[in-house]
Amino acid sequence: MNLNEESLQKIAELSRLKIDPKDIQNFLTDFNKVLNYVDTITELNVSSVSDEELYPNEGNSLRADKAEEGLSRSQIESFAPSFQNGYFVVPKVIET
Amino acid sequence: MKELWKLKYSDIKKGLNSGEFTPTELIQSLISRIEAEDPKIKAFLSWEKESILKAAAESTERRKSGKPLSEFDGIPIGVKDNICIENTITSCASKILENYRSPFHATAIEKLLAKGFVLIPRANMDEFAMGSSTENSAYQVTKNPFDTTRIPGGSSGGSAAAVAASFVPIALGSDTGGSVRQPASLCGIYGLKPTYGTVSRYGLVAYASSLDQIGPLSKDIDGIIDVYSVISGKDQRDATSKNIPAFDPSKVKELPWKGLKIGKMKITSEIEPDIAKAYESLLAELESKGAQLVDLDFSLLSNSIPIYYIIATAECSSNLSRFDGIRFGQRKDPSGKLEDLYVTSRSEGFGKEVQRRILLGTFSLSAGYYDAYYGRAQKARVLIKKEYEGYFSKVDLILQPTSPTTAFKVGEKTSDPIQMYKADILTTSVNLAGVPAMSVPIGTDSKGLPIGLQITAPSLHEDRIFGFAKMISDWASKVQLPEAIK
Repeated sequence: MNLNEESLQKIAELSRLKIDPKDIQNFLTDFNKVLNYVDTITELNVSSVSDEELYPNEGNSLRADKAEEGLSRSQIESFAPSFQNGYFVVPKVIET
Repeated sequence: MKELWKLKYSDIKKGLNSGEFTPTELIQSLISRIEAEDPKIKAFLSWEKESILKAAAESTERRKSGKPLSEFDGIPIGVKDNICIENTITSCASKILENYRSPFHATAIEKLLAKGFVLIPRANMDEFAMGSSTENSAYQVTKNPFDTTRIPGGSSGGSAAAVAASFVPIALGSDTGGSVRQPASLCGIYGLKPTYGTVSRYGLVAYASSLDQIGPLSKDIDGIIDVYSVISGKDQRDATSKNIPAFDPSKVKELPWKGLKIGKMKITSEIEPDIAKAYESLLAELESKGAQLVDLDFSLLSNSIPIYYIIATAECSSNLSRFDGIRFGQRKDPSGKLEDLYVTSRSEGFGKEVQRRILLGTFSLSAGYYDAYYGRAQKARVLIKKEYEGYFSKVDLILQPTSPTTAFKVGEKTSDPIQMYKADILTTSVNLAGVPAMSVPIGTDSKGLPIGLQITAPSLHEDRIFGFAKMISDWASKVQLPEAIK
């Protein structure tokens, strides 16, 4: 199948990405090449695979529900792009 | 100064343990080599000379006082830039993590440090481990030490080139669809993709969680065995880690030639003639020693790349959603609106290939396409696993060339994503099945470029791969790593 520009923009929006308008045609061409390549799997017969095989019950990997020391505020501050008084700073999202 | 950089892993280990040279002397020799030659290779993104020398001095002191942490104390190891080292930049060769200093060690790193290994970060890579040539790094293109007009393979190309150029005897990479084995093959060294779940992924920046696995690259087989035995084993912090102990190197034994059943593939037109010749001549010799060759039908595996790209990109679109400019990494805030912050940080931070894979993953997971693509790919993956189970009911090991081509020219495949994806045509199915495989150098083509053999075994049978690799080590020794980098 081939995606058109409108569908690609929709996927980009869902991905929180913006494709530069000057790159859109090249991007669309490459994306459709890849899509056509992976499209071959739509012809594979997979009906023999049961749900049990798809989701094998290998048991859960659990550990004790015990509090452990995590990262300190100063460690978080050292890699956060914007951090104040123990909080990540984000742009205002609620209009007053 | 002694030219210790020329030594292979096993000679380095021997020399350190016999006291022939100290960790500091060794590191100084490697540093001189890196300073002289890495400007031509560009294997490392950056490296902190002072902290490397300090770690070597500490190791020298431990050895001098008769208290080494292990027989490995002082052995230098390169580290790919997607494996977290505390207080060291881990950028995944991406602009979005340009200044990210990890606050913790990956489990594999903790285990290496506990044994006294000296870390040499940060080996270049394809951005977020997405690529087959190390041309997708946001910072630099790594060159192949055998011919600097060519690529070293990807995505662990920095790690592979660093070993092949004798900057380090051994390095860590990560393998999602062939990213340790393919560059190992193109750089004439050994590279292991272990059984999924035997090496903790804690602290490995995730690309496709159900496929990623940390693996060693080395100048010789002993380095692979040693490092795998150190970094493997159950880790509580990784829920996908198998509940089994670390690999026991005493399990490695040479196999009897007589009756050894080896699965072989039919050579297709995609395999370069020199590679086909090297492969066929190795098989003929194995047969003459008494091994039994079994033809295997790999036709289902020809679908591996499409299945791989659907699954890997779906997981990548989910894993990379955490890079939003809020909690870590780069932040671009042009308009002061939250939505714009996300979109601009991600669009400017991720390179084109990463964006293409995020888009493909989002597409295959989206309403209307999920069943046709992602759901179907998951089922097809089960068929691949069953296919391998079928093979291993007939054979002990599978042998294939690792890569269909030797190292190609820089820029040769960048304009065509499909041609680039096909570089991993013989390796991706191994990750889908979760089985172990290793690339071993077996010769060179008419241009002098290395050819690799991929040895695949059933899950948890790394011992079989290692034993076999030792048996064919004469073949591997035919490939001499370059001393002069041209």
